[in-house]
Amino acid sequence: MGAGQTPYGDHPTLGIKEMFNAALGDAMQSVDRGVDPREIQAAYVGTLGSGGFQIGQPGALVAGYAGLPPIPVYHLENACASGGFALLAGVTAILSGLYDLVLVAGMEKMTDLSSAAAKYWLGVSGDTEFERLAGLTFAGLFALTAQRYMLDYGMPRETLSRVAVKNHRNGALNPKAHLRRAISLERALAGPPVAHPLNVFDCCPISDGAAVVLLASEERARSLTDAPVFLRGFGSGSDHLALHSRDSVTSLRASRKAAEDAYRMAGVGPGDVAFAEVHDCFTIAEIVAYEDLGFAQPGQGWRLIEEGATTAEGRLPVNLSGGLKAKGHPLGATGVGQAYEVFNQLRGEAQAPERQVRRGGLALTHNIGGIGGTAVVCIYEGGEGW
Amino acid sequence: MGAHVSVPMYQRSVGQRYRLLGQRCRGCGRVNFPPAGACMYCGSRDGFDEAQLSGRGKIYTFTEIAPGGAPPEFARQAALTGSYIVAIVELAEGPRVVAQLVDCTFSDLQVGKEVMMVVRRIYVEEGVVRYGYKFRLA
Repeated sequence: MGAGQTPYGDHPTLGIKEMFNAALGDAMQSVDRGVDPREIQAAYVGTLGSGGFQIGQPGALVAGYAGLPPIPVYHLENACASGGFALLAGVTAILSGLYDLVLVAGMEKMTDLSSAAAKYWLGVSGDTEFERLAGLTFAGLFALTAQRYMLDYGMPRETLSRVAVKNHRNGALNPKAHLRRAISLERALAGPPVAHPLNVFDCCPISDGAAVVLLASEERARSLTDAPVFLRGFGSGSDHLALHSRDSVTSLRASRKAAEDAYRMAGVGPGDVAFAEVHDCFTIAEIVAYEDLGFAQPGQGWRLIEEGATTAEGRLPVNLSGGLKAKGHPLGATGVGQAYEVFNQLRGEAQAPERQVRRGGLALTHNIGGIGGTAVVCIYEGGEGW
Repeated sequence: MGAHVSVPMYQRSVGQRYRLLGQRCRGCGRVNFPPAGACMYCGSRDGFDEAQLSGRGKIYTFTEIAPGGAPPEFARQAALTGSYIVAIVELAEGPRVVAQLVDCTFSDLQVGKEVMMVVRRIYVEEGVVRYGYKFRLA
């Protein structure tokens, strides 16, 4: 019944405490009939803790700053899916009947770090013993996926750049996105190389940011707003941490398991999804996600990009927010920020009319940790009349 | 700042890093590498016998890491060589490993090409040079 987010980007004057507090304030403001923060019964905070300045108990740090003690605070860490798993922890607490109003937050402070330190922290969530010691970060791992995907399915290199072009175009319209500018296909193809075939424009930026959602039981939500957004299904999964220990490098089992469970719980299928926010940390990840989420058959995901099916005007808009690629990817914030985007869209409150999704249908969010060591999928529905 | 693998932790895996020692599942007979608590193929937890891998394999997928894509502990290597190549290699006995490919250029490579394990310098941490497996074209 409430959701808030700081703009993602480079915030030299804001730390995790200030960003969390700002996102909480934004979320409280979104509650139509207002909510007293003292009514929040528990907080679930997702963050990797980049930089290492508060690896232990970051939840207590930020909750204390925002005046929330003495409620219980949980810190959840699943790399880039920390926010998604914090969300599910809050959801299951509500469903258990223990609480009827909880806070879920995701946050990450990344721009305080030097380039070398940022790369170190971006790599700590992969398999350290074997993958990392081959000289790989996640860019390298997704490059291995992209290379094999192109070979197996005949996808041209340009398709990857078309993902970046699409998401930059969407991000340009999102006032809370980090990279608010459209890019041409020529520019996207000509970026400095990172890990062949991926270049800089295939990679999400390094961003600061926080997002907060307020979750309530249906009864409680209806007392606080006339326009709640309903979570109809959710699922999560895991896989071997190391990519080389998996059967496939072009499909993520954790995503498939999460999606299957979410669809089953909601009693729907991929065809019922009207728009989606998917985890596009690298351009290839969005194409793989189309297949793992059932939007396309294995090997056919790239054709959705070529057909324009997932643009803002397409039949299944994906990453209207700009996605991780253009909105930014403050690791722990991402899974919660996706819920923030869906909350606004399903209430008809996207910040600009040109980025508001058409009415009707369900929304899906997809959040993965690293290269799919963990994954979360959620399916949302708007309130009456949506 | 680099990937932190302490000397004792590294020491525990030298059998894998120097000699590609794997384990054969007592349930299904297939070879796992690196060692695991349950067989990655059949899920059996009935135990394993040591299995020496041949070091021969084929390129499954590969990439060329530019200096901008290298983790900090490999930044010096990338700066000196301009880039380096990393591949997933499918070993003859079945398991896949990820490792650098050496003594070749990117244009020499394609998926399916045969490679052979070599021991090379990996990186330096805590003042100790770490050696381990890489691969070259067979």
